[in-house]
Amino acid sequence: MKDKILQTLSDLRVYAISKCYEVTIDYHEEDSGLMRFANSAVSLNTSEHLIRLYVTAYEGRKRASYNLITDLGKMNEMKTAVDTAAEMVKHVQPLEYQPTVPTLAESFADDSTYDPILASLSNEEKLAYFKTAAKDMETSEIKLSGILSNGVTTLAQINTRSRHTQFFKFSDTQVTAVLSHITLKWEVQSEQSAHSRAALDTQPVRGELAFLLKHYQKDAPQSLPTGRYDIVFGPAAIAELLGMMNVIGFNGGSLKRGYSMIAEDKVGQKVLSEKFSLDDDPARLETFPFRRDLMGMPRGCFPLYEKGIFKGFTWLQDDADEFGARPTGHTVMHKSLVVHGGEKDLPGLEALVKMPRENDVLYIPFLHYMNIVNPSKGIITASSRFGALYLKKDGAVVIPYNVRLTQSLLDIFGDKVAWLSKQTVPYNTSMTYGARNPTAVIVPRFTCVRDLEISHSNTSY
Amino acid sequence: MIDKIKQQIDRIKARSAAYLDARYYPFEESNELLMMNGNLKNASVSRESGVGVRVLYKGAWGFSAASDLSDLPGLFDKAFDNARAAAARVTFPIKLAAREPVHAQFDSPCMMDPFQVPLADKVSFLETMDKKLNQPGVFLRDASLTFIRKQIIFIDSAGSEIEKNITEVFAGLDVNGTDPQGVMQERKFRLGQMGKPTRGWESIDTELFAANAERIVRELNEVLAAQDCPKDDRSVILLPGIMYLQTHETIGHALELDRILGYELAYAGGSFVTLDDFGKLRYGSDRLTVRANALVPNSPGSFGYDDDGTPCRDVVLIDKGTLVGAITGRQMVEEANARAQRQIFNGSGGANRATAFYRVPIERMTNINIDPGSGGTLDDIIAKTEKGIILDGDRSWSIGSNREQFHFATEIGWLVEDGRKTKVVKNATYRGDTLKFWNSLSSVGSAATWELKYVDNCGKGQPNQVMQLGHGIPVCRFDNVRIGE
Repeated sequence: MKDKILQTLSDLRVYAISKCYEVTIDYHEEDSGLMRFANSAVSLNTSEHLIRLYVTAYEGRKRASYNLITDLGKMNEMKTAVDTAAEMVKHVQPLEYQPTVPTLAESFADDSTYDPILASLSNEEKLAYFKTAAKDMETSEIKLSGILSNGVTTLAQINTRSRHTQFFKFSDTQVTAVLSHITLKWEVQSEQSAHSRAALDTQPVRGELAFLLKHYQKDAPQSLPTGRYDIVFGPAAIAELLGMMNVIGFNGGSLKRGYSMIAEDKVGQKVLSEKFSLDDDPARLETFPFRRDLMGMPRGCFPLYEKGIFKGFTWLQDDADEFGARPTGHTVMHKSLVVHGGEKDLPGLEALVKMPRENDVLYIPFLHYMNIVNPSKGIITASSRFGALYLKKDGAVVIPYNVRLTQSLLDIFGDKVAWLSKQTVPYNTSMTYGARNPTAVIVPRFTCVRDLEISHSNTSY
Repeated sequence: MIDKIKQQIDRIKARSAAYLDARYYPFEESNELLMMNGNLKNASVSRESGVGVRVLYKGAWGFSAASDLSDLPGLFDKAFDNARAAAARVTFPIKLAAREPVHAQFDSPCMMDPFQVPLADKVSFLETMDKKLNQPGVFLRDASLTFIRKQIIFIDSAGSEIEKNITEVFAGLDVNGTDPQGVMQERKFRLGQMGKPTRGWESIDTELFAANAERIVRELNEVLAAQDCPKDDRSVILLPGIMYLQTHETIGHALELDRILGYELAYAGGSFVTLDDFGKLRYGSDRLTVRANALVPNSPGSFGYDDDGTPCRDVVLIDKGTLVGAITGRQMVEEANARAQRQIFNGSGGANRATAFYRVPIERMTNINIDPGSGGTLDDIIAKTEKGIILDGDRSWSIGSNREQFHFATEIGWLVEDGRKTKVVKNATYRGDTLKFWNSLSSVGSAATWELKYVDNCGKGQPNQVMQLGHGIPVCRFDNVRIGE
């Protein structure tokens, strides 16, 4: 299949050159399925096989794109797409800067995160996964919901500047399992991200669900008073916060457009906690990495924050072109963000609950519906969800109703950071809007931040 | 192609499938243009076609979609296989609300097909707007146009055949500037219905956009010079530019019946509403009447027939403050009535929609509208407000997982003291508990304040789907609301 894809792209390139066009041609194929559970039943079971072709035409400083969903057998349709993009570019306005047309210096292929066994996960295996994960935990009032999304994503590129190609192939699985009480409306959740069949393991999911379920059934709920708390964030919460940092915390284009919490002169300065280090590290297969960016630039580990010191902005090629910056190999569908683990040995939730502590702590595993209130100040807002626990210093466990947190990322990852767990986990951040883009970040299992304000507290689940 | 699809429907039906439908998209095209600070950053066209097949077998859905239609039997077999696998875990066998077979066609109102307009004309419009926006105080400006055109052929095993031809136009202007504290401020304008009967290229009214360009630049500069919004408890007067989102997030999503029944719990969340609440929950004050009205002329939330093949309806959701209805499709109403052991819903509300041929239909908002009230004009409402703030424009929004509480940041605020608008404030936010908030509704503006806003980016579902819809909204006032946090 790989050869057929690359040959098709090569044929399209020859066609474009014969017409004196300057184009880039990107191929995206997804073969995916999603099994969704709700109310302890399979509420939806889908399959998709889609091939997308993206053609961008250049003419001096002008640029225009034509995209279509097509099929490898439809060469005439694809040639028409090339023609259409080339026609469009004649009629658009020139940019005020010179856009870079990628020049691939050599061909590159990477299928290191493709596992054919994971890719061919059957309906029966998906059903079995959920059956094991929730075994003996569902009742007439406690229902299972969740998804198992898996698929194969294939990307390939060529352009008229060289005959070289780039080829990427990923297999991925994202699991969310939720147990919820249908009348009380509480929810507990466990998630998993897999880049290989070996990484797809029901037991950790089952263990976490069982542990949370035990507490949610046994321990008393409480509306927490608003005020300041020491908060331990779980992987989903940290991943969500990182998603916001990705926009306003180190992005050069955002900086130049005024949407950055980090000023240009902060490079080399300590702006976050010395306990906080963050890399973009494409060596980590769990992140479905791009080891070359889509301009052909090799990608290695790119430190973003090292012990709180800001190391530098990332630049998309187009932003670099517009603002006169040097591209950093970040013209990718996603980065490979990795937060370094700390020193606290905490392998799992049970260890966190049992851990001796000097103060009460609020465990927030998941932050729901986060949004940026003030990008310049790094202020975000979100609510807790999915299995929060209030861990009293005397060892008691209370179930907190959901709370709202409106805080600056500069505080959350700043000097208020108390500790990070030694253990890290991959957390799947894939969305399924549009073309499939398997994505995960690696984050500490737990991150403790002192003295954060809860601005709103629910009075029920 | 239609005959081939019908043959496959008959073939799978003969294998004991209870119901099938197929949505064939001969084409769906979109054209997006974005000019940012004078640079045409995006000039793109996309085109897709394909078929999505839904099979109901032993009480469970299976779905399959493909763009390659050379193997239709394989596509239908895959959907059937997925349904058979799903049938292994059924707790509440799916039943669809009754509906007669439909043979119909729907064409959205459009005078000038935007896909026939030369690209150069569209770029020229953006250049004109860019010049209007390029004023002192503006650091970042953008003007955007999005056009969508699609044809959908719906065919089901009950004998329905519906053709829909839909054209959508979305357009906007944004200006951003940095205040003396280094904080980026924003003001924007989005094209809505504006009382016009059609939404083709003719809705791109240069004079309308120019006037709004001037307004948002002026208001941005007022915000840049303003003081911070105080932290206080006040009456908030929400203009349609933020009121639409308040309605969208805390009424629209909360009343999607699939959310209420727990079908979105693993992702988007649930709803504080229970089946027991219908007919008795005081959702808001008696000034509040809300409807899901897919019959409003000329809106993305009016589409003729939903993707269950159900004709569009005008459904009352909240009647003088009491919860009476929900946003529904054929599957969920039957399940809800059965679970509640009473008939809450009388047939589908015609609100089951999919964003593309490769996505399955789910309950989506149509036009979630608030009826105009007796509060008069904006000036009338201000005059009767002792201590308040007028808010407009969405900057950020965050809502609890059961839609029980919320936090919104807005683009601009005007303080109101003793019945008079006094000064502009920046970084204005407000938050609240959904039921307490809607029950504090103390004034609803007249029809003169009512605007139909378009939404082009409502997200929901797994796999994720973006949907287009509308909100017809008057100016509203709520009392004793926390602002400035």
